[in-house]
Amino acid sequence: MNNIRKQKIREFFLETLKQNSDAQPLADNDSLFVSGRLDSFSMMMFVMHLEKEFGIDFTAIDFDVNLIDSLNEIELFIESQISA
Amino acid sequence: MNKTNDARFGGAGLRSVWAIDERQTLVAWVQTPPGKIALLVLAFLSLNVTLQWQEALFDVAAMALFAYWPQWRSVILFVATYVTAFIFPHGSIDDAIRGVAAHEGFAELSTGALSYVALVGFLFLAWGLLAYARYQKQSVLAQRPLLTLLAIELLLCLLTYQGVLHGLPRLILWSLLCVLTPYFWFLAYALVDQRSKDRSSDLFQLGTFHPLWGGVGSVPVGKGAAFLRKMLAKTPKEMAITQIKAVKLLLWADALLALRMLLKWFFEDYHHIPSVTDAIDASIQNHAYALCTQWASLIWSVINYSLRVSISGHFIIGSARLAGFRLPRATWRPLESRTLIEYFNRFSYYFKELLVDFFFLPTFFRVFKEHPRVRLFFATFMAAGVGNAIYHFVCEIDLVESMGLSGALESYISYAFYCLILATGIGISQVRASSGHKPSSSVWGRIQSFFVVWGFVTLLHIFSDESRNHTFSERAQYLLSMFAI
Repeated sequence: MNNIRKQKIREFFLETLKQNSDAQPLADNDSLFVSGRLDSFSMMMFVMHLEKEFGIDFTAIDFDVNLIDSLNEIELFIESQISA
Repeated sequence: MNKTNDARFGGAGLRSVWAIDERQTLVAWVQTPPGKIALLVLAFLSLNVTLQWQEALFDVAAMALFAYWPQWRSVILFVATYVTAFIFPHGSIDDAIRGVAAHEGFAELSTGALSYVALVGFLFLAWGLLAYARYQKQSVLAQRPLLTLLAIELLLCLLTYQGVLHGLPRLILWSLLCVLTPYFWFLAYALVDQRSKDRSSDLFQLGTFHPLWGGVGSVPVGKGAAFLRKMLAKTPKEMAITQIKAVKLLLWADALLALRMLLKWFFEDYHHIPSVTDAIDASIQNHAYALCTQWASLIWSVINYSLRVSISGHFIIGSARLAGFRLPRATWRPLESRTLIEYFNRFSYYFKELLVDFFFLPTFFRVFKEHPRVRLFFATFMAAGVGNAIYHFVCEIDLVESMGLSGALESYISYAFYCLILATGIGISQVRASSGHKPSSSVWGRIQSFFVVWGFVTLLHIFSDESRNHTFSERAQYLLSMFAI
């Protein structure tokens, strides 16, 4: 994933975390959802964001939260979907 | 658990005095032998408040072995879990089997022994189902594990319904149904995990079914093996921090337990406030309590229920953390909820996760993709309403035997109504949040939010009260009478 795209996704999460009064830094490997740092509602918001921004069709995917649990995993996931 | 986990619902301003898990000297000391022993002794004393000393000692010893002996974790978890199940059973399975045993002429049979045999039978069945789902990836079981389990549960229920089978076959199938029911959602999580590339061994999977830290409910607190292996402390330092948090949570559970006892004395012994069930009974018999007593009864019932759920969740999560699982709390400051969706998330995190995993996500990914708000509302409704109703009906499947199918369904109308209203409220709250609506964070705004959220939960509690003694109509009339209507 290019840096601009990754930065945009980071900003998406930093804004969501800020709304949850979470000012902790966000590293590329930090767990977002499995750790409970963000809830399932935030996850759905992000899924809708991915559908809208990247045209990813989640109905065709055996969805597992681990696919999008960290910035690095999101990077791999988007690349695999775009190249598919 | 790291700091970020505790900040998930906005708890950035952690109370520094209580944040002993952030003190490096303590974290280092807990990694030494004297530190480990002191921590385990404290954990034992905390658990001994609610458990018999033998069970508390066994639990702490098993958790310590699990934490400090990583190469044997699957074996330790499996053995400890089933030693707990066999030596310290909680009796609900025996009770459910006893009625059918007597009815079929096997009153002299030990229902305890029968439940043990049924549990062993269930373990082999579960093991077989896991293997089948793993090797037959295109099978209905692997693709639709929840639907398949519901079909198995329904089939067992039909076969054991009065008049279909008789004698020993009915008793055996009924015993299997009674054992399957409390393990239903644990098995569902394990079946889903069979799709994972890095799935856990069968021994570990089976060890997470009502694990030794698991409590008596049917909600898999800590979810399944997939979640647990991801949350396991990776380094000695992480382990020490997690265990300090474990003891903190256990002590907090003890404090809440003391508070609950004090409030129980205050409401029930000192002021003689009746339970909601008794108050409805009195109302039906035209001996209704005074309005202020009815309101006190309802408020106390909600407080008592909330404390019970919190305390139980804290003991379970505290115990799991002692083994090294960095699990988020089951209940997290529910009084700070500013919306219904936030309340749902904070009050019973793992129940909400179960509904999300098995009902919300499948719905969300399949329907109304072109209509984001309808999509969100409908998926939320399927989870908080339909999923909630199915979960509770499955948990209380033994009522079909004791009350008959029509009786069980009739007594369930009230809870179904509760699910309908709750799901609608949460769905609207979800859609409003997705539209950017945020409650005011001012002091007055927070007070308003508190009364809206907890007012809704309190009024709805009349319909979710766990007793099956009253019909929907009786409860509705009682609610109206509380407003002098």
